[in-house]
Amino acid sequence: MTVERSADVSSAALGTQPRSVACQCRNASVDLGSRAGPRRILGDINFDLHEGEFVAILGRSGSGKTTLLRVLGGLVDPTPESVVTFHGRPVAGPPQDVVFVFQNYAASLLPWRTVHNNVALGLEGKVPVAVKRARISESLATVGLEARAADYPWQLSGGMQQRVQLARSLAMRPRGLLMDEPFGSLDAMTKASLQDQLQQVHQHTGATIAFVTHDIDEAVFLSDRILVLDGSPATIAHEIPVELPRPRDQLATKELPEFLRLRRQVYDAIVETGD
Amino acid sequence: MTTLGVGPADAASPVEPGERRRTTPARGTRTGSLPPLRGLLPLVVFLASWQLVASRLSPFFPPPSDWASALLDLSRSGVLLPAAFATVITFLLGLVAASVLGTVLGLAVGASARTDRALQPTLEYARAMPPAAVVPIATLLLGFTGTMKVVVVTSAAIWSILLNTRSGVRQLNPVMFEMARSLQLGRFERVRKVTFPALLPSIFLGVRVAAPVALVITLLVEILTQVDGVGALIAQSQRNYEFAQGYGLILVAGLFALLVNALVSMLQARVMRHRPPA
Ligand SMILES: Nc1ncnc2c1ncn2[C@@H]1O[C@H](COP(=O)(O)OP(=O)(O)OP(=O)(O)O)[C@@H](O)[C@H]1O
Ligand SMILES: [Mg+2]
Repeated sequence: MTVERSADVSSAALGTQPRSVACQCRNASVDLGSRAGPRRILGDINFDLHEGEFVAILGRSGSGKTTLLRVLGGLVDPTPESVVTFHGRPVAGPPQDVVFVFQNYAASLLPWRTVHNNVALGLEGKVPVAVKRARISESLATVGLEARAADYPWQLSGGMQQRVQLARSLAMRPRGLLMDEPFGSLDAMTKASLQDQLQQVHQHTGATIAFVTHDIDEAVFLSDRILVLDGSPATIAHEIPVELPRPRDQLATKELPEFLRLRRQVYDAIVETGD
Repeated sequence: MTTLGVGPADAASPVEPGERRRTTPARGTRTGSLPPLRGLLPLVVFLASWQLVASRLSPFFPPPSDWASALLDLSRSGVLLPAAFATVITFLLGLVAASVLGTVLGLAVGASARTDRALQPTLEYARAMPPAAVVPIATLLLGFTGTMKVVVVTSAAIWSILLNTRSGVRQLNPVMFEMARSLQLGRFERVRKVTFPALLPSIFLGVRVAAPVALVITLLVEILTQVDGVGALIAQSQRNYEFAQGYGLILVAGLFALLVNALVSMLQARVMRHRPPA
């Protein structure tokens, strides 16, 4: 795997000096229509995502995690007074350099395109053919699927399909990834291996990642910071920094006292908000 | 009219989702969509026994050998080929127009729940309109012309394509489009690379039903209006008591229907080649 933007990345990833803000969310609210008229789903959300930061978003089912991520990805419009920017530009429609990764990988891949051509989708007509080819094989290699390039997505297992979606996102060379429970429907072993791959991708590309999950262990294991959503309308009820050493290891990291403490803290935060 | 029955019988049968599986040789390149020729055996047996039983003297039931010579005469007099050409052109133009218009309108109707609900009664009404009832209006507006024929055929064949496309649109997963937007695909690119290919199976389900309808209506409008074509010849032979010629023409039309069916099936199988076998 080639390393991109390694110079500015490593300093950002190490987090020693103050990082620049990648994404800004100020007084962000969202109204969504229900049968009884519009309902406020998110109310007054405030936070920043820093360049190269990995932020996990937790909360109970229906608390508005997906909605928040969709706002960042320009797929849902917040209320007019909300200020949401990505890389300094106001979000109106999906921002450049930011790719959304869907939980429903099956629906997000085009069944009539091969794995290779699915990964090509966002590059076609935008980069020279040779560059496109190189990027596709590179990102497929990153997720370990170069041997399946000629297959169709429906010939792959669920975990492989999610890796194709990840490869397609990586081929875009995104500065930001918005991931909505990407490993939510996968078995524990597949999940662990994808977490490791994602961690490597994060370290090598220095992308800013917002990651929605239900899984507390996953959130603590992967992230630099955890946001807990709660309330109706939802706000950020808790913000928990995660200062575990990187790179993290599925066994060693999860045995650290700090990991166990954080896990406990996050759990308490979620349970407490529910009362 | 036994052979012509191939068309309408097929058109009347509802197209279940399972239909796709049957015509999808996704696991192999077998051209399994071609109907086996031995399926024509009953027809052959029927014609052969007709040939044996028929009396040379019956004007109403001439034996098939007479049909052939009547067709040959017709062909020698230079009438058959232009008629066949007119029929095939009308059929093709009508089917292509129905496919294009049906797809576009189906997309437009299905894309918004509001237009869909608003147009539902009108669509049901228009679909129930028998093509034979459209013919007088069409001749009034367009005269006894080739355009009139194509318009009638299109108006009859469009419905299965329009309605299948519409329900196809409604079943598309919005995630597909959000994904495309997130990957910075433009509006036109999304239609070309996502919407249209995603709808192709639905469109083809509609075309499969529409093709035999288009052929039957082509012949019908020719029989009713006498404007060119094989249908006009059939009507003429009946009027002139040329029964051998009439039967022969009907047999030829039936065989053409079989050919059209086989071609559409092959095209559909080709389109569906790389789709999941579900
Ligand atoms: N398109 C929509 N129209 C109206 N209401 C919606 C829409 N999408 C979501 N909601 C509502 O917004 C709230 C938050 O939904 P959201 O999907 O963001 O929750 P979530 O935290 O992602 O839940 P889960 O963990 O189950 O995925 C829910 O009450 C839901 O009913
Ligand atoms: Mg969700």
